[in-house]
Amino acid sequence: MTNILEVRSIQTYIGQFHILEGVDAQVPAGGIVALLGRNGAGKTTTLKSILGLTPPRSGQVIFDGVEIQGLRPFEIAALGIGFVPEHRAIFRDLSVYENLKIAQRKKGDLERKSAFIFELFPDLQRLIKLPGTHLSGGQQQMLAVARALVPDNRLLLIDEPSEGLAPVIIEAMMEAIRRLSATTTVVLVEQNFIVASQLAQRYVIIEEGRSVQSGAMADLVQDKATIQRYLGAA
Amino acid sequence: MASQGAYLKRNLGFLLTIGALVVLPFALAWINGQSIPSLLANEAGDAKFMQGLLIEIFILAVFAISYDLVLGVTGLLSFGHGMFFAFGAYLTGVLLKSFGWPLWQVALGVVVLGVLQALLFSIVLPRVKGITFALVTLGIASVFDILVKSQELNPFTGSDVGLQGVPRPAGLSPVDDRLRFYYLALLFAVIVYLVYKRFVDSPTGRVCIATRENESRALSIGFNTFYFKLVALIVASITAALAGMLHTLYKPIVSPEIAGLGFTVQGLLMLLIGGIGTLSGAMIGAAVLRLMEFYFARWFGESAGFVIGVVYVSIVLFLPYGIVGTWQLKRLEFRQGRERLLAYFSNARKNPKTGEQR
Repeated sequence: MTNILEVRSIQTYIGQFHILEGVDAQVPAGGIVALLGRNGAGKTTTLKSILGLTPPRSGQVIFDGVEIQGLRPFEIAALGIGFVPEHRAIFRDLSVYENLKIAQRKKGDLERKSAFIFELFPDLQRLIKLPGTHLSGGQQQMLAVARALVPDNRLLLIDEPSEGLAPVIIEAMMEAIRRLSATTTVVLVEQNFIVASQLAQRYVIIEEGRSVQSGAMADLVQDKATIQRYLGAA
Repeated sequence: MASQGAYLKRNLGFLLTIGALVVLPFALAWINGQSIPSLLANEAGDAKFMQGLLIEIFILAVFAISYDLVLGVTGLLSFGHGMFFAFGAYLTGVLLKSFGWPLWQVALGVVVLGVLQALLFSIVLPRVKGITFALVTLGIASVFDILVKSQELNPFTGSDVGLQGVPRPAGLSPVDDRLRFYYLALLFAVIVYLVYKRFVDSPTGRVCIATRENESRALSIGFNTFYFKLVALIVASITAALAGMLHTLYKPIVSPEIAGLGFTVQGLLMLLIGGIGTLSGAMIGAAVLRLMEFYFARWFGESAGFVIGVVYVSIVLFLPYGIVGTWQLKRLEFRQGRERLLAYFSNARKNPKTGEQR
Protein backbone atom coordinates (compact mmCIF):
# COMPACT_ATOMS: atom_id res chain seq x y z
CA MET A 1 0.00 0.00 0.00
CA THR A 2 1.39 3.46 -0.87
CA ASN A 3 2.01 5.93 1.91
CA ILE A 4 0.28 9.28 1.59
CA LEU A 5 2.48 10.67 4.38
CA GLU A 6 5.94 9.73 5.57
CA VAL A 7 7.69 11.33 8.49
CA ARG A 8 11.40 10.57 8.63
CA SER A 9 13.50 11.30 11.72
CA ILE A 10 12.15 14.79 12.35
CA GLN A 11 13.79 16.91 15.05
CA THR A 12 11.77 19.84 16.30
CA TYR A 13 12.62 22.58 18.77
CA ILE A 14 10.25 24.99 20.46
CA GLY A 15 12.43 27.89 21.51
CA GLN A 16 15.45 26.24 23.16
CA PHE A 17 13.60 23.06 24.02
CA HIS A 18 14.29 19.97 21.95
CA ILE A 19 10.81 18.46 21.72
CA LEU A 20 11.02 15.88 18.92
CA GLU A 21 14.28 13.92 18.90
CA GLY A 22 13.53 11.61 15.99
CA VAL A 23 9.98 10.75 15.01
CA ASP A 24 9.26 8.37 12.15
CA ALA A 25 5.80 7.49 10.87
CA GLN A 26 4.29 5.96 7.78
CA VAL A 27 0.68 6.74 6.99
CA PRO A 28 -0.87 4.56 4.28
CA ALA A 29 -3.50 6.14 2.06
CA GLY A 30 -6.97 5.42 3.44
CA GLY A 31 -7.96 4.59 6.99
CA ILE A 32 -6.82 5.96 10.33
CA VAL A 33 -3.41 6.01 12.00
CA ALA A 34 -3.30 6.83 15.70
CA LEU A 35 -0.40 8.65 17.34
CA LEU A 36 -0.27 7.32 20.89
CA GLY A 37 1.76 8.27 23.91
CA ARG A 38 1.63 9.84 27.34
CA ASN A 39 1.00 13.51 28.01
CA GLY A 40 3.94 15.60 26.80
CA ALA A 41 5.37 12.79 24.66
CA GLY A 42 5.35 14.98 21.53
CA LYS A 43 2.18 13.87 19.71
CA THR A 44 0.74 17.37 19.15
CA THR A 45 4.17 18.74 18.20
CA THR A 46 4.43 15.97 15.61
CA LEU A 47 1.15 17.13 14.02
CA LYS A 48 2.27 20.76 14.15
CA SER A 49 5.63 19.82 12.61
CA ILE A 50 3.88 18.05 9.74
CA LEU A 51 1.81 21.18 9.16
CA GLY A 52 4.77 23.57 9.53
CA LEU A 53 3.40 25.38 12.58
CA THR A 54 6.49 24.23 14.51
CA PRO A 55 8.80 23.50 11.57
CA PRO A 56 11.30 20.66 12.09
CA ARG A 57 14.98 21.60 12.06
CA SER A 58 15.95 18.35 10.41
CA GLY A 59 14.35 15.23 8.98
CA GLN A 60 11.82 14.90 6.20
CA VAL A 61 8.06 15.16 5.89
CA ILE A 62 6.88 13.69 2.61
CA PHE A 63 3.28 14.16 1.54
CA ASP A 64 2.17 12.34 -1.57
CA GLY A 65 5.75 12.00 -2.75
CA VAL A 66 6.66 15.68 -2.20
CA GLU A 67 8.92 17.00 0.57
CA ILE A 68 6.98 19.60 2.51
CA GLN A 69 9.10 20.26 5.60
CA GLY A 70 10.37 23.65 4.35
CA LEU A 71 6.99 25.00 3.28
CA ARG A 72 4.91 27.50 5.23
CA PRO A 73 1.72 26.32 6.99
CA PHE A 74 -0.69 27.88 4.49
CA GLU A 75 1.23 26.32 1.59
CA ILE A 76 1.10 22.91 3.26
CA ALA A 77 -2.63 23.28 3.97
CA ALA A 78 -3.22 24.19 0.32
CA LEU A 79 -1.75 20.83 -0.72
CA GLY A 80 -4.77 19.17 0.89
CA ILE A 81 -3.90 18.68 4.55
CA GLY A 82 -6.60 19.64 7.05
CA PHE A 83 -5.96 20.21 10.74
CA VAL A 84 -8.35 19.95 13.67
CA PRO A 85 -6.42 21.37 16.64
CA GLU A 86 -7.07 20.41 20.24
CA HIS A 87 -9.19 22.52 22.61
CA ARG A 88 -12.12 22.92 20.16
CA ALA A 89 -10.28 25.36 18.02
CA ILE A 90 -13.02 27.31 16.32
CA PHE A 91 -13.24 31.03 15.63
CA ARG A 92 -15.48 32.09 18.46
CA ASP A 93 -16.42 35.51 17.12
CA LEU A 94 -17.61 34.06 13.82
CA SER A 95 -20.95 32.29 13.41
CA VAL A 96 -21.19 28.57 12.68
CA TYR A 97 -21.83 29.40 9.01
CA GLU A 98 -18.87 31.79 8.83
CA ASN A 99 -16.62 29.21 10.51
CA LEU A 100 -17.50 26.76 7.76
CA LYS A 101 -17.45 29.30 4.95
CA ILE A 102 -13.98 30.57 5.85
CA ALA A 103 -12.56 27.07 5.39
CA GLN A 104 -13.46 27.04 1.68
CA ARG A 105 -10.46 26.65 -0.57
CA LYS A 106 -12.50 26.91 -3.76
CA LYS A 107 -15.77 28.70 -4.34
CA GLY A 108 -18.69 26.33 -3.80
CA ASP A 109 -16.81 23.95 -1.46
CA LEU A 110 -19.31 24.49 1.34
CA GLU A 111 -22.35 24.04 -0.90
CA ARG A 112 -20.97 20.73 -2.20
CA LYS A 113 -20.08 19.41 1.25
CA SER A 114 -22.92 20.81 3.36
CA ALA A 115 -25.20 17.77 2.97
CA PHE A 116 -22.44 15.41 4.16
CA ILE A 117 -21.41 17.75 7.00
CA PHE A 118 -24.96 18.24 8.29
CA GLU A 119 -25.62 14.51 8.02
CA LEU A 120 -22.60 13.90 10.25
CA PHE A 121 -23.40 16.76 12.62
CA PRO A 122 -27.13 17.61 12.42
CA ASP A 123 -26.82 20.01 15.40
CA LEU A 124 -24.72 22.40 13.35
CA GLN A 125 -27.51 23.02 10.85
CA ARG A 126 -29.81 24.11 13.66
CA LEU A 127 -27.14 26.40 15.14
CA ILE A 128 -25.93 27.80 11.82
CA LYS A 129 -26.44 31.48 12.70
CA LEU A 130 -25.12 31.37 16.27
CA PRO A 131 -21.68 32.76 17.08
CA GLY A 132 -19.13 30.11 18.01
CA THR A 133 -18.82 31.46 21.53
CA HIS A 134 -22.42 30.37 22.27
CA LEU A 135 -21.87 26.69 21.38
CA SER A 136 -21.36 23.95 23.95
CA GLY A 137 -18.00 22.13 24.12
CA GLY A 138 -19.30 19.21 22.07
CA GLN A 139 -20.82 21.47 19.44
CA GLN A 140 -17.56 23.41 19.17
CA GLN A 141 -15.65 20.17 18.62
CA MET A 142 -18.13 19.11 15.95
CA LEU A 143 -17.69 22.47 14.25
CA ALA A 144 -13.89 22.17 14.40
CA VAL A 145 -14.05 18.78 12.64
CA ALA A 146 -16.73 19.99 10.20
CA ARG A 147 -14.55 22.94 9.21
CA ALA A 148 -11.77 20.59 8.16
CA LEU A 149 -14.25 18.72 5.96
CA VAL A 150 -15.22 21.75 3.86
CA PRO A 151 -12.24 21.77 1.45
CA ASP A 152 -11.11 18.69 -0.47
CA ASN A 153 -8.48 17.51 2.00
CA ARG A 154 -6.68 14.27 1.31
CA LEU A 155 -5.25 14.04 4.81
CA LEU A 156 -6.78 15.11 8.11
CA LEU A 157 -4.72 15.66 11.25
CA ILE A 158 -7.06 15.47 14.25
CA ASP A 159 -5.75 16.32 17.71
CA GLU A 160 -7.53 14.95 20.80
CA PRO A 161 -11.11 15.00 19.47
CA SER A 162 -12.56 13.36 22.59
CA GLU A 163 -10.84 15.64 25.11
CA GLY A 164 -13.26 16.89 27.77
CA LEU A 165 -16.40 15.65 26.01
CA ALA A 166 -19.36 13.74 27.48
CA PRO A 167 -19.49 10.01 26.57
CA VAL A 168 -22.50 10.46 24.31
CA ILE A 169 -20.72 13.19 22.34
CA ILE A 170 -17.57 11.06 22.12
CA GLU A 171 -19.69 8.30 20.54
CA ALA A 172 -21.04 10.73 17.93
CA MET A 173 -17.55 12.09 17.25
CA MET A 174 -16.14 8.57 16.81
CA GLU A 175 -18.87 7.69 14.38
CA ALA A 176 -18.21 10.87 12.41
CA ILE A 177 -14.44 10.20 12.23
CA ARG A 178 -15.07 6.61 11.20
CA ARG A 179 -17.35 7.74 8.38
CA LEU A 180 -15.12 10.51 7.10
CA SER A 181 -12.13 8.14 7.08
CA ALA A 182 -13.85 6.27 4.26
CA THR A 183 -12.94 9.16 1.95
CA THR A 184 -10.01 10.88 3.72
CA THR A 185 -6.89 9.53 5.40
CA VAL A 186 -6.80 10.47 9.09
CA VAL A 187 -3.92 10.87 11.53
CA LEU A 188 -5.43 10.89 14.98
CA VAL A 189 -3.83 11.99 18.22
CA GLU A 190 -5.85 10.47 21.02
CA GLN A 191 -5.09 10.13 24.71
CA ASN A 192 -8.05 7.81 25.25
CA PHE A 193 -6.71 4.43 24.17
CA ILE A 194 -10.15 2.81 24.02
CA VAL A 195 -11.30 5.44 21.52
CA ALA A 196 -8.08 5.20 19.49
CA SER A 197 -8.12 1.41 19.37
CA GLN A 198 -11.70 1.31 18.13
CA LEU A 199 -11.02 3.80 15.35
CA ALA A 200 -7.49 3.26 14.03
CA GLN A 201 -6.13 0.44 11.92
CA ARG A 202 -2.50 1.38 12.59
CA TYR A 203 -0.60 3.12 15.37
CA VAL A 204 2.66 4.90 16.17
CA ILE A 205 3.76 5.20 19.80
CA ILE A 206 5.76 8.32 20.72
CA GLU A 207 7.75 8.41 23.92
CA GLU A 208 9.81 11.40 25.05
CA GLY A 209 9.98 12.87 21.55
CA ARG A 210 10.88 9.61 19.77
CA SER A 211 8.77 7.13 17.89
CA VAL A 212 9.38 3.83 19.66
CA GLN A 213 6.94 1.39 18.10
CA SER A 214 4.45 1.16 15.26
CA GLY A 215 2.31 -1.47 13.61
CA ALA A 216 -1.23 -2.78 13.28
CA MET A 217 -3.67 -1.71 15.98
CA ALA A 218 -5.10 -5.24 16.17
CA ASP A 219 -1.68 -6.48 17.35
CA LEU A 220 -1.26 -3.70 19.89
CA VAL A 221 -4.62 -4.42 21.49
CA GLN A 222 -3.35 -7.93 22.31
CA ASP A 223 -0.02 -6.63 23.63
CA LYS A 224 -0.92 -5.65 27.18
CA ALA A 225 2.71 -5.21 28.24
CA THR A 226 3.37 -2.54 25.58
CA ILE A 227 0.14 -0.76 26.39
CA GLN A 228 1.05 -0.74 30.08
CA ARG A 229 4.62 0.36 29.42
CA TYR A 230 4.01 3.25 27.05
CA LEU A 231 0.42 4.29 27.60
CA GLY A 232 -0.15 3.44 31.25
CA ALA A 233 -3.38 1.62 30.39
CA ALA A 234 -4.11 -2.10 30.41
CA MET B 1 -40.84 44.47 -0.44
CA ALA B 2 -40.05 41.89 2.23
CA SER B 3 -36.31 42.30 1.68
CA GLN B 4 -36.68 46.09 1.80
CA GLY B 5 -38.53 45.76 5.11
CA ALA B 6 -35.84 43.49 6.49
CA TYR B 7 -33.13 45.94 5.35
CA LEU B 8 -34.95 48.83 7.02
CA LYS B 9 -35.40 46.85 10.23
CA ARG B 10 -31.76 45.75 10.28
CA ASN B 11 -30.40 49.25 9.65
CA LEU B 12 -33.04 51.29 11.43
CA GLY B 13 -30.63 52.60 14.08
CA PHE B 14 -28.07 53.63 11.46
CA LEU B 15 -30.64 55.35 9.21
CA LEU B 16 -32.21 57.19 12.15
CA THR B 17 -28.78 58.37 13.29
CA ILE B 18 -27.94 59.69 9.82
CA GLY B 19 -31.34 61.40 9.59
CA ALA B 20 -30.84 63.00 13.01
CA LEU B 21 -27.35 64.24 12.10
CA VAL B 22 -28.65 65.73 8.84
CA VAL B 23 -31.31 67.81 10.62
CA LEU B 24 -29.22 68.48 13.74
CA PRO B 25 -27.77 71.88 12.60
CA PHE B 26 -31.31 73.12 11.93
CA ALA B 27 -32.59 71.72 15.23
CA LEU B 28 -29.73 73.38 17.10
CA ALA B 29 -30.43 76.68 15.37
CA TRP B 30 -34.12 76.43 16.28
CA ILE B 31 -33.27 75.63 19.93
CA ASN B 32 -30.94 78.63 20.07
CA GLY B 33 -33.54 80.91 18.53
CA GLN B 34 -31.61 81.36 15.31
CA SER B 35 -33.55 81.66 12.06
CA ILE B 36 -32.94 79.29 9.15
CA PRO B 37 -31.80 82.11 6.78
CA SER B 38 -29.22 83.30 9.31
CA LEU B 39 -28.01 79.69 9.73
CA LEU B 40 -27.66 79.34 5.96
CA ALA B 41 -25.91 82.74 5.87
CA ASN B 42 -23.24 81.28 8.20
CA GLU B 43 -23.92 83.80 10.98
CA ALA B 44 -22.04 83.29 14.24
CA GLY B 45 -23.83 81.77 17.20
CA ASP B 46 -24.13 78.69 19.39
CA ALA B 47 -25.48 76.66 16.47
CA LYS B 48 -22.39 77.38 14.37
CA PHE B 49 -20.16 76.57 17.33
CA MET B 50 -21.91 73.22 17.82
CA GLN B 51 -21.47 72.44 14.13
CA GLY B 52 -17.73 72.87 14.68
CA LEU B 53 -17.77 70.49 17.65
CA LEU B 54 -19.64 67.91 15.57
CA ILE B 55 -17.15 68.28 12.69
CA GLU B 56 -14.36 67.47 15.17
CA ILE B 57 -16.35 64.42 16.31
CA PHE B 58 -16.80 63.16 12.73
CA ILE B 59 -13.07 63.47 12.07
CA LEU B 60 -12.18 61.73 15.35
CA ALA B 61 -14.78 59.04 14.60
CA VAL B 62 -13.05 58.24 11.31
CA PHE B 63 -9.70 58.09 13.08
CA ALA B 64 -11.19 55.80 15.75
CA ILE B 65 -12.83 53.41 13.25
CA SER B 66 -9.54 53.12 11.33
CA TYR B 67 -7.80 52.18 14.60
CA ASP B 68 -10.57 49.67 15.27
CA LEU B 69 -9.88 47.94 11.96
CA VAL B 70 -6.23 47.48 12.90
CA LEU B 71 -6.62 46.68 16.59
CA GLY B 72 -10.18 45.46 17.12
CA VAL B 73 -10.81 43.57 13.89
CA THR B 74 -7.34 42.34 12.85
CA GLY B 75 -5.76 42.20 16.31
CA LEU B 76 -2.63 44.22 15.49
CA LEU B 77 -1.58 45.98 18.67
CA SER B 78 -0.22 49.19 17.15
CA PHE B 79 0.89 52.12 19.28
CA GLY B 80 1.78 54.14 16.21
CA HIS B 81 -1.65 54.64 14.72
CA GLY B 82 -1.70 58.35 15.57
CA MET B 83 1.17 58.77 13.10
CA PHE B 84 -1.13 57.74 10.21
CA PHE B 85 -3.46 60.62 11.10
CA ALA B 86 -0.71 63.11 11.89
CA PHE B 87 1.25 62.41 8.72
CA GLY B 88 -1.90 63.00 6.63
CA ALA B 89 -2.53 66.26 8.51
CA TYR B 90 1.04 67.54 8.13
CA LEU B 91 1.35 66.49 4.50
CA THR B 92 -1.86 68.35 3.66
CA GLY B 93 -0.63 71.47 5.42
CA VAL B 94 2.82 71.40 3.85
CA LEU B 95 1.57 70.70 0.33
CA LEU B 96 -1.07 73.45 0.54
CA LYS B 97 1.10 76.04 2.27
CA SER B 98 4.65 75.44 1.07
CA PHE B 99 4.03 73.97 -2.38
CA GLY B 100 0.62 75.37 -3.30
CA TRP B 101 -0.72 72.10 -4.66
CA PRO B 102 -4.39 71.98 -5.70
CA LEU B 103 -6.66 70.03 -3.35
CA TRP B 104 -7.18 67.00 -5.59
CA GLN B 105 -3.42 66.50 -5.89
CA VAL B 106 -3.08 66.85 -2.13
CA ALA B 107 -5.78 64.17 -1.65
CA LEU B 108 -3.95 61.88 -4.06
CA GLY B 109 -0.69 62.51 -2.23
CA VAL B 110 -2.34 61.66 1.10
CA VAL B 111 -3.67 58.36 -0.30
CA VAL B 112 -0.20 57.43 -1.63
CA LEU B 113 1.25 58.39 1.75
CA GLY B 114 -1.31 56.13 3.44
CA VAL B 115 -0.12 53.16 1.40
CA LEU B 116 3.55 53.96 2.11
CA GLN B 117 2.95 54.24 5.86
CA ALA B 118 1.26 50.84 5.91
CA LEU B 119 4.14 49.34 3.93
CA LEU B 120 6.57 50.84 6.44
CA PHE B 121 4.74 49.09 9.30
CA SER B 122 4.48 45.90 7.28
CA ILE B 123 8.27 45.53 7.09
CA VAL B 124 8.22 44.22 10.66
CA LEU B 125 4.86 42.47 10.37
CA PRO B 126 6.13 38.94 9.60
CA ARG B 127 8.80 39.12 12.30
CA VAL B 128 7.16 40.56 15.39
CA LYS B 129 3.81 40.16 17.10
CA GLY B 130 1.86 41.41 20.11
CA ILE B 131 3.66 43.76 22.45
CA THR B 132 6.84 43.70 20.31
CA PHE B 133 4.86 44.97 17.31
CA ALA B 134 3.36 47.63 19.59
CA LEU B 135 6.81 48.79 20.66
CA VAL B 136 8.20 48.83 17.12
CA THR B 137 5.24 50.87 15.83
CA LEU B 138 5.63 53.19 18.81
CA GLY B 139 9.28 53.59 17.88
CA ILE B 140 8.47 54.48 14.26
CA ALA B 141 5.80 56.96 15.40
CA SER B 142 8.22 58.49 17.91
CA VAL B 143 10.75 59.11 15.13
CA PHE B 144 8.02 60.94 13.20
CA ASP B 145 7.12 62.91 16.34
CA ILE B 146 10.77 63.97 16.77
CA LEU B 147 11.04 64.90 13.08
CA VAL B 148 8.00 67.21 13.03
CA LYS B 149 9.24 68.96 16.18
CA SER B 150 12.82 69.29 14.90
CA GLN B 151 14.26 72.71 14.12
CA GLU B 152 15.56 71.47 10.76
CA LEU B 153 12.00 70.99 9.53
CA ASN B 154 10.74 74.16 11.20
CA PRO B 155 10.10 75.99 7.89
CA PHE B 156 7.69 73.21 6.90
CA THR B 157 6.21 71.82 10.13
CA GLY B 158 6.56 74.77 12.50
CA SER B 159 8.25 72.42 15.04
CA ASP B 160 6.91 72.88 18.60
CA VAL B 161 4.49 75.66 17.65
CA GLY B 162 2.87 73.65 14.91
CA LEU B 163 2.04 74.32 11.29
CA GLN B 164 0.10 77.57 11.10
CA GLY B 165 -1.67 79.56 8.42
CA VAL B 166 -2.57 76.72 6.10
CA PRO B 167 -4.49 78.25 3.15
CA ARG B 168 -7.97 76.87 2.75
CA PRO B 169 -9.08 75.86 -0.73
CA ALA B 170 -11.86 77.99 -2.21
CA GLY B 171 -15.37 76.75 -1.39
CA LEU B 172 -14.17 74.59 1.46
CA SER B 173 -13.70 77.01 4.30
CA PRO B 174 -15.26 76.04 7.64
CA VAL B 175 -15.17 79.74 8.61
CA ASP B 176 -17.00 81.06 5.56
CA ASP B 177 -19.38 78.12 5.10
CA ARG B 178 -19.37 75.86 8.12
CA LEU B 179 -22.63 74.14 7.23
CA ARG B 180 -21.13 72.90 3.95
CA PHE B 181 -18.06 71.64 5.80
CA TYR B 182 -20.34 69.97 8.35
CA TYR B 183 -22.13 67.97 5.65
CA LEU B 184 -18.84 67.15 3.93
CA ALA B 185 -17.42 65.75 7.20
CA LEU B 186 -20.65 63.86 7.89
CA LEU B 187 -20.63 62.38 4.37
CA PHE B 188 -17.00 61.35 4.80
CA ALA B 189 -17.74 59.61 8.12
CA VAL B 190 -20.82 57.81 6.71
CA ILE B 191 -18.94 56.60 3.60
CA VAL B 192 -16.03 55.36 5.72
CA TYR B 193 -18.42 53.51 8.04
CA LEU B 194 -20.25 51.83 5.14
CA VAL B 195 -16.99 50.85 3.41
CA TYR B 196 -15.61 49.44 6.66
CA LYS B 197 -18.82 47.51 7.38
CA ARG B 198 -18.65 46.02 3.90
CA PHE B 199 -14.97 45.19 4.37
CA VAL B 200 -15.48 43.44 7.72
CA ASP B 201 -18.46 41.47 6.40
CA SER B 202 -16.49 40.40 3.31
CA PRO B 203 -14.49 37.14 3.19
CA THR B 204 -11.30 39.22 3.59
CA GLY B 205 -12.70 40.83 6.74
CA ARG B 206 -13.70 37.44 8.15
CA VAL B 207 -10.12 36.20 7.67
CA CYS B 208 -8.89 39.34 9.48
CA ILE B 209 -11.14 38.40 12.42
CA ALA B 210 -9.92 34.80 12.27
CA THR B 211 -6.32 36.07 12.29
CA ARG B 212 -7.04 38.17 15.37
CA GLU B 213 -8.60 35.21 17.18
CA ASN B 214 -5.89 32.68 16.38
CA GLU B 215 -3.32 33.20 13.66
CA SER B 216 -2.08 29.61 13.75
CA ARG B 217 -5.58 28.34 13.03
CA ALA B 218 -5.96 30.75 10.13
CA LEU B 219 -2.58 29.63 8.76
CA SER B 220 -3.48 25.97 9.12
CA ILE B 221 -6.68 26.52 7.15
CA GLY B 222 -4.52 27.83 4.32
CA PHE B 223 -4.48 31.62 4.62
CA ASN B 224 -1.30 33.65 4.25
CA THR B 225 -2.25 35.93 7.11
CA PHE B 226 0.48 38.47 6.27
CA TYR B 227 -1.44 39.72 3.24
CA PHE B 228 -4.66 40.09 5.20
CA LYS B 229 -2.93 42.08 7.91
CA LEU B 230 -1.28 44.21 5.24
CA VAL B 231 -4.63 44.93 3.55
CA ALA B 232 -6.14 45.97 6.89
CA LEU B 233 -3.14 48.23 7.59
CA ILE B 234 -3.34 49.87 4.15
CA VAL B 235 -7.09 50.52 4.41
CA ALA B 236 -6.74 51.90 7.96
CA SER B 237 -3.69 54.00 7.11
CA ILE B 238 -5.35 55.63 4.07
CA THR B 239 -8.49 56.34 6.09
CA ALA B 240 -6.61 57.83 9.04
CA ALA B 241 -4.46 59.95 6.70
CA LEU B 242 -7.60 61.27 4.95
CA ALA B 243 -9.09 62.06 8.37
CA GLY B 244 -5.87 63.96 9.12
CA MET B 245 -6.28 65.86 5.85
CA LEU B 246 -9.81 66.89 6.83
CA HIS B 247 -8.48 67.91 10.26
CA THR B 248 -6.02 70.31 8.61
CA LEU B 249 -8.69 71.72 6.32
CA TYR B 250 -10.91 72.36 9.34
CA LYS B 251 -8.38 73.68 11.86
CA PRO B 252 -6.28 76.74 11.20
CA ILE B 253 -3.16 74.98 12.56
CA VAL B 254 -1.67 71.48 12.79
CA SER B 255 -0.56 71.00 16.36
CA PRO B 256 2.38 68.63 17.05
CA GLU B 257 0.22 67.10 19.81
CA ILE B 258 -1.42 64.83 17.23
CA ALA B 259 1.95 63.27 16.41
CA GLY B 260 2.55 62.11 19.99
CA LEU B 261 1.64 58.90 21.78
CA GLY B 262 -1.16 60.76 23.59
CA PHE B 263 -3.25 60.93 20.43
CA THR B 264 -2.98 57.17 19.85
CA VAL B 265 -3.95 56.59 23.49
CA GLN B 266 -6.94 58.86 22.93
CA GLY B 267 -7.95 56.59 20.02
CA LEU B 268 -7.56 53.58 22.29
CA LEU B 269 -9.86 55.19 24.87
CA MET B 270 -12.46 55.80 22.16
CA LEU B 271 -12.39 52.09 21.34
CA LEU B 272 -12.61 51.08 25.00
CA ILE B 273 -15.60 53.35 25.55
CA GLY B 274 -17.47 52.29 22.40
CA GLY B 275 -16.44 48.65 22.20
CA ILE B 276 -13.36 47.18 20.50
CA GLY B 277 -14.00 45.42 17.19
CA THR B 278 -17.53 46.74 16.75
CA LEU B 279 -16.84 49.60 14.24
CA SER B 280 -19.90 51.61 15.24
CA GLY B 281 -18.60 51.50 18.82
CA ALA B 282 -15.42 53.25 17.74
CA MET B 283 -17.44 56.13 16.29
CA ILE B 284 -19.72 56.32 19.33
CA GLY B 285 -16.65 56.22 21.58
CA ALA B 286 -15.17 59.18 19.69
CA ALA B 287 -18.38 61.16 20.17
CA VAL B 288 -18.65 60.31 23.87
CA LEU B 289 -15.01 61.16 24.53
CA ARG B 290 -15.08 64.51 22.71
CA LEU B 291 -18.40 65.54 24.26
CA MET B 292 -17.16 64.53 27.71
CA GLU B 293 -13.99 66.57 27.27
CA PHE B 294 -15.97 69.60 26.14
CA TYR B 295 -18.83 69.55 28.66
CA PHE B 296 -16.82 68.35 31.66
CA ALA B 297 -14.31 71.15 31.07
CA ARG B 298 -17.24 73.58 31.03
CA TRP B 299 -18.95 72.12 34.12
CA PHE B 300 -16.02 71.04 36.30
CA GLY B 301 -13.21 73.32 35.15
CA GLU B 302 -9.83 72.05 36.29
CA SER B 303 -11.39 68.95 37.87
CA ALA B 304 -12.60 67.74 34.46
CA GLY B 305 -9.66 65.35 34.04
CA PHE B 306 -10.49 63.64 37.33
CA VAL B 307 -14.19 63.27 36.42
CA ILE B 308 -13.31 61.85 32.99
CA GLY B 309 -11.01 59.35 34.75
CA VAL B 310 -13.90 58.27 37.00
CA VAL B 311 -16.10 57.78 33.94
CA TYR B 312 -13.40 55.64 32.23
CA VAL B 313 -13.07 53.41 35.29
CA SER B 314 -16.88 53.11 35.53
CA ILE B 315 -17.14 52.10 31.87
CA VAL B 316 -14.43 49.46 32.25
CA LEU B 317 -16.17 48.12 35.39
CA PHE B 318 -19.79 48.19 34.26
CA LEU B 319 -19.47 47.99 30.46
CA PRO B 320 -16.44 45.73 30.00
CA TYR B 321 -17.11 45.31 26.28
CA GLY B 322 -17.80 49.02 25.74
CA ILE B 323 -21.16 50.59 24.97
CA VAL B 324 -21.87 48.78 21.70
CA GLY B 325 -20.11 45.53 22.64
CA THR B 326 -22.12 45.17 25.85
CA TRP B 327 -25.35 46.09 24.05
CA GLN B 328 -24.72 43.43 21.37
CA LEU B 329 -23.97 40.80 24.01
CA LYS B 330 -27.08 41.56 26.08
CA ARG B 331 -29.27 41.58 22.96
CA LEU B 332 -27.99 38.14 21.95
CA GLU B 333 -28.54 36.77 25.46
CA PHE B 334 -32.06 38.20 25.46
CA ARG B 335 -32.85 36.57 22.11
CA GLN B 336 -31.50 33.22 23.22
CA GLY B 337 -33.47 33.41 26.47
CA ARG B 338 -36.65 34.22 24.54
CA GLU B 339 -36.08 31.30 22.16
CA ARG B 340 -35.53 28.91 25.09
CA LEU B 341 -38.73 30.15 26.76
CA LEU B 342 -40.72 29.80 23.53
CA ALA B 343 -39.35 26.28 23.03
CA TYR B 344 -40.25 25.40 26.63
CA PHE B 345 -43.85 26.61 26.34
CA SER B 346 -44.20 25.07 22.89
CA ASN B 347 -43.16 21.67 24.33
CA ALA B 348 -45.40 22.16 27.37
CA ARG B 349 -48.43 22.58 25.10
CA LYS B 350 -47.76 19.26 23.38
CA ASN B 351 -49.62 16.12 24.40
CA PRO B 352 -46.89 13.87 25.89
CA LYS B 353 -48.53 10.75 24.41
CA THR B 354 -49.24 11.87 20.86
CA GLY B 355 -46.77 14.71 20.53
CA GLU B 356 -49.51 16.92 19.06
CA GLN B 357 -50.39 20.44 20.22
CA ARG B 358 -53.11 20.52 22.88
